[in-house]
Amino acid sequence: MVSVINTVDTSHEDMIHDAQMDYYGTRLATCSSDRTVKIFDVRNGGQILVADLRGHEGPVWQVAWAHPMFGNILASCSYDRKVIIWKEDNGSWDKMYEYTGHESSVNSVCWGPYEFGLILACGSSDGAISLLTFTGDQQWDVKKISNAHTIGCNAVSWAPAVVPGSLIDQPSGQKPNYVKRFVSGGCDNLVKLWKEEDGQWKEDQKLEAHSDWVRDVGWAPSIGLPTSTIASCSQDGRVFIWTCDDPAGNTWTPELLHKFNDVVWHVSWSITGNILAVSGGDNKVTLWKESMDGRWACISDVSKGQGAVSTITDTQQTEQ
Amino acid sequence: MRLKEIQRTAHQAWSPAGHHPIHLALGTSAQQLDASFNTTAALEIFEVDFSDPSLEMQLKGSLPTTNRLHSIVWVNFGMGADGTGGRLVGGSENGTLTVYNPEVIMSARADADAVVGQSDKHTGPIRALDFNPFQSNLLASGANDSEIYIWDLNNFSSPMTPGAKTQPAEDISVVSWNRQVQHILASASPSGKAVVWDLRKNEPIIKISDHSNRMHCSGMLWHPEVATQLVLASEDDRLPVIQMWDLRFATSPLKVLENHTRGILSISWSQADPELLLSSAKDNRILCWNPNTAEVIYELPTANQWCFDVQWCPRNPALLSAASFDGRITVYSVMGGSLKAQQQSTADKVTACSYDTIVPPLKKPPKWVRRPVGASFAFGGKLITFENPKQAPVQSPQPVPRQVFMSQVTTETEFLQRSRELQAALQSGSFNNYCQAKIQNAKSDAEQDIWKFLLVNFEDEARIKFLRLLGFSKDDLDKKVALPRESYLACNHSLCPSFEDTDGLISQALLVGNFEGAVDLCLNDGRYAEAILLSISGGEELLKKTQQKYLSKQKNSISMLISSVVTQNWRDIVQSCELDNWKEALAALLTYAHPEEFARLCDTLGGRLEHEKTEKRCLQACLCYICSGNIEKLVECWASQRESSTPLGLEDLVEKVMMLRKSIERLRNSEVAVQSPILAEKLTCYAGILAAEGSLGTAMTYLPENTDQPGIMMLRDRLFHAQGEASVGQQPPNSFNRANVSTAKPAPAAAAPKAQIMQLYAPCPSPGFLPHQPFHQPQPMLIGGPSAFSPPGPPMSAANLSGPPLQPSSSTPGGMPPMPSPGVPPTSFMPTTSIPSGPMPPSSQPGAPVPMYPGGLHSQGPAPPMASGPYVPMGSGYPQGGPGAPAVKPFPAPAVAPPPTGKWSLCIQKVPDNYTPPAPITAPVMGFPVEAPQPHDHAQVPPGAPQEPSVQLLQQLPAERVEQKEIPAEHMVLKSTFDSLVQRCQLAARDPQTKRKLDDAAKRLGFLYDKLREQSLSHNILNGLHEISRCVASQNYQRGLEVHTQVVSSSNFSEISAFMPILKVVMTIANKLGV
Repeated sequence: MVSVINTVDTSHEDMIHDAQMDYYGTRLATCSSDRTVKIFDVRNGGQILVADLRGHEGPVWQVAWAHPMFGNILASCSYDRKVIIWKEDNGSWDKMYEYTGHESSVNSVCWGPYEFGLILACGSSDGAISLLTFTGDQQWDVKKISNAHTIGCNAVSWAPAVVPGSLIDQPSGQKPNYVKRFVSGGCDNLVKLWKEEDGQWKEDQKLEAHSDWVRDVGWAPSIGLPTSTIASCSQDGRVFIWTCDDPAGNTWTPELLHKFNDVVWHVSWSITGNILAVSGGDNKVTLWKESMDGRWACISDVSKGQGAVSTITDTQQTEQ
Repeated sequence: MRLKEIQRTAHQAWSPAGHHPIHLALGTSAQQLDASFNTTAALEIFEVDFSDPSLEMQLKGSLPTTNRLHSIVWVNFGMGADGTGGRLVGGSENGTLTVYNPEVIMSARADADAVVGQSDKHTGPIRALDFNPFQSNLLASGANDSEIYIWDLNNFSSPMTPGAKTQPAEDISVVSWNRQVQHILASASPSGKAVVWDLRKNEPIIKISDHSNRMHCSGMLWHPEVATQLVLASEDDRLPVIQMWDLRFATSPLKVLENHTRGILSISWSQADPELLLSSAKDNRILCWNPNTAEVIYELPTANQWCFDVQWCPRNPALLSAASFDGRITVYSVMGGSLKAQQQSTADKVTACSYDTIVPPLKKPPKWVRRPVGASFAFGGKLITFENPKQAPVQSPQPVPRQVFMSQVTTETEFLQRSRELQAALQSGSFNNYCQAKIQNAKSDAEQDIWKFLLVNFEDEARIKFLRLLGFSKDDLDKKVALPRESYLACNHSLCPSFEDTDGLISQALLVGNFEGAVDLCLNDGRYAEAILLSISGGEELLKKTQQKYLSKQKNSISMLISSVVTQNWRDIVQSCELDNWKEALAALLTYAHPEEFARLCDTLGGRLEHEKTEKRCLQACLCYICSGNIEKLVECWASQRESSTPLGLEDLVEKVMMLRKSIERLRNSEVAVQSPILAEKLTCYAGILAAEGSLGTAMTYLPENTDQPGIMMLRDRLFHAQGEASVGQQPPNSFNRANVSTAKPAPAAAAPKAQIMQLYAPCPSPGFLPHQPFHQPQPMLIGGPSAFSPPGPPMSAANLSGPPLQPSSSTPGGMPPMPSPGVPPTSFMPTTSIPSGPMPPSSQPGAPVPMYPGGLHSQGPAPPMASGPYVPMGSGYPQGGPGAPAVKPFPAPAVAPPPTGKWSLCIQKVPDNYTPPAPITAPVMGFPVEAPQPHDHAQVPPGAPQEPSVQLLQQLPAERVEQKEIPAEHMVLKSTFDSLVQRCQLAARDPQTKRKLDDAAKRLGFLYDKLREQSLSHNILNGLHEISRCVASQNYQRGLEVHTQVVSSSNFSEISAFMPILKVVMTIANKLGV
């Protein structure tokens, strides 16, 4: 079942473009074409406006919460070419950092896993991806991947923190030697994987399957298995699930989840990585789940937050 | 921003929106010559590949043509399902209309003609072409002399006309199909007049003209979404405007877009966003308008040349191509970006740095980048969704509600249902009903077996019921023993296939402890040796009787089972029995095995079964583990065979584990914490699924406590905070199972700290066990300071959160262990505490209730409070070894005890007043060729009697002890008192058995002293020992025994088992001897 437990009236004056819960699921951040970012306390079914953040000069496309170990930090990106990092101190939210290094709309922001420290990836219509790393003392280190996606980058998503070689066991004690990776999607119809080597970001893989803009990418959370999974969705209506079993991360296999009749805007993995939410044109939201035999099936159509959930059985699978 | 460029003087046509990859067709322009005066003509198709960052476009095909073109379109007609193909239609300067197949041009096949249709119907240059957006086979063309034709690409030879030619005759410069109504076509001429045709009526329905006579119509387009609106562009330098008309008010233009300074040459209206209208003019500018507001929202950075043709790319809405008179075709993006960055990869081709400018994007974001819908997951299976109305009605009085929905997603309906049932059972304590329901609904026999075993743990007389479940029924056997022997021969006991005839009966009798029956059977069968051996175990009277019979007849036979029964060597049985006989082996353990060894033996048997790695064996192993109460092994074994990663698979496992744990807790009247990595992993996984399904509170109860694993700690922290204010009033996170305590039986002062219970389960004292720790509260990290961003460790800070102020650590997790109050007499334990552990001195507690032979206790006397019959505790109040562990052997019954009634009286009346068996009888036991070598001390043990707890183990320990610390001074008094007591007794003792016991006592008290040296004894026990010591010093042994009972009943047995029993023995002897 998908049942509404809270309806938040955001009072945004224009289209809402993103809504994200914080790590604990107690606060909601929204952003809109009205150039504002709003934060609501939604604990226990409430909706208390905590902050109305103004600073962008254009529509705000995305918001992203940092891991709470760093405090209450929210990043937002806008058509005004800026990325703003907001921070709560003593109950009031203020700008912590403003990044103006992009030459066009910044379409996507995503915080890296907390194991990597406070690091933000930003994808822009100027085709570049920026990586902002907090180095202390209000200093941010900026690395920029120019021309990552011709005509523009639409989405970035970090890989979970895993140590190569021992994908399951992470030695405690000493700091594990994580390899930083993320995935991006762009107007060149490509999904690209990026890897940091010796402090430099390099293109690791180029995944081709979409025939139109890649609208969103989502790297699935690690559930302790050595398989890496990425979902990508596109203007062409297709959603692909990319999987990689080899530890080197070189062989990615696409599986078509579904071909929708309209643009697919957004994909989002559940925290446990077993359900994928797909949202597309015509306000269509669907939930997808992998069955035991590894096939993906739609388990729910969600409309205005409501929907039934069907269970996948093997017989249904074979019928499909 | 410039993306691609090529030197051509050509008209252009983008491939249709459905076409992939994107192609651009270029047909050589008519009426334009370059300096070479070259008059050749060609149709070329280029691929626009943006994964290639260079400005190059790859030529995919080329076709020489006889005529130069005035117009070209690429239509969907004939496009394959794969998004390739379609038709290119070119209108030439001499009036020829040609249809090309672009696939043939690109494949350059010699066998196919790229030209699939041609017509010379038009009499002059064809300047106007448009295809119908609804029926891709319909094409409109316009030429000189008011000629307009409608072509059907399916039947190309005979075009239609939209109606009678307009008069006076003039050129047709534009034709355009309405984007909403498929039978409406508009045409326009350079004179500025536009005509709208209705093809169903075959006549013009409206004419548009602003009467200024200065409109020189170069372009006309219908609104992409509003059926009645169109724009007209004027080429006249005196009126360089775009007029927007609405046919509902066709007297004057609705809006006039004024910004160009010279005549407009070309316009293009984005189909992806109606607020984007491109225009190129003789002022060298390309502008992008919002036609609704008549404002210029963008100006493309262009070269200083007129562009005579601009076109939005139908597929990629951010792209447009522009054809300029200086012979370039350029592809631009309106999304901005840096030209320099673009061209870095083609640095060698960049001649000037004039492009080193940042090109801003459109002022207003185009529709196609404005995400209208979203669905994102959040912790706890929450789904956050928002949607936006498709197209808000223009100037709607009601503001659009901007709502975000927070929904709970639950996908595992059955899992949640079963989890709720389990939770209800755990909270209500109705374990029996729960197990019963599970048995009834079990899907397989194996599943049913497991639930039956689990259920038995909650019932009285568990051991007998275990035997029954294994197929051994005392009652049945009693009847059979009573029957004439002949009838057995026909009766092949199905559950004992390996034992047949008399052998089988003997085995069964032994397995259920029926010595008399077994002896009778042996005698009847002439197996005297066995009969004698058994009768030794069965009691003096039986022995005498058997000996008599043996004197009259004489035969021989051997069986391992008898050997084991006589020698108590159960390790051999479990280590070497055929696995097909696992039931018999388990039954033997249930009947005979010493409580101390029982669990280990069960586990050994289970381990062998598990080692087979077949599903059947593993399920059998699970039954062994259930008997022994070994949760960890149960989990391991189960997980090795059954799917336990799926929610339902995990639920299957957790249900069993929780029930087993509850049954053990019920026996011990205290909580059981199992520190098993695999169980912790499974429970964490289980909690994770519960959390993902939104059952945050329930998830918290399953999350393992006392862990320093980052993953578990993080989940706990997340669960705690996620519950919001609801969790503030909650019990601390690890108040796990608390609710159930009240449902246990009346609790004597016997609850022990979990840590000690833990040790009961550990096969050896677990050195890694840490004292109960409160919920880990990580160090608060201050944001902003450099230290806050040092390499983050796993613990997370809850600091800086405005969350609930109450941290879970604020109360003592797990609670204080209920301390047994010394003043409270352990009344409920009185009946059992008099039952000695291990071999009983003959003088013990005359008149105390006699422990029945296993299974018989319920028939007489009050039931012990914790468990009846088979669960008679070892004097400590704690059953040892697991729920199924058998009771103390029957031999301790004092000689003076009144003979109980019942058929097992023989066994009970047997009083071994000799600790060692008579040598002549022991000798034959030793002489039997037992499969496994017998430990050396077996000769010291009476056959049929259990060994002293862990004799071997205890004897081995001192050898490993390298260094001995001193006994703390405050406890030296214990050593001196007890040692002197033993010495006094040794002096006074006369009979050899007592002397032997005292010798043993001297040795065993060493373990107490070791514990004192290690300072590993709890405060409670030490107090008790000092109290006993004071009693001994004052020769008040009766009081000493009372204190002893209190200590034993309120302590962890494993902690004291090495020395407390012998202390009691010594005091009892001392009391008897009066020293």
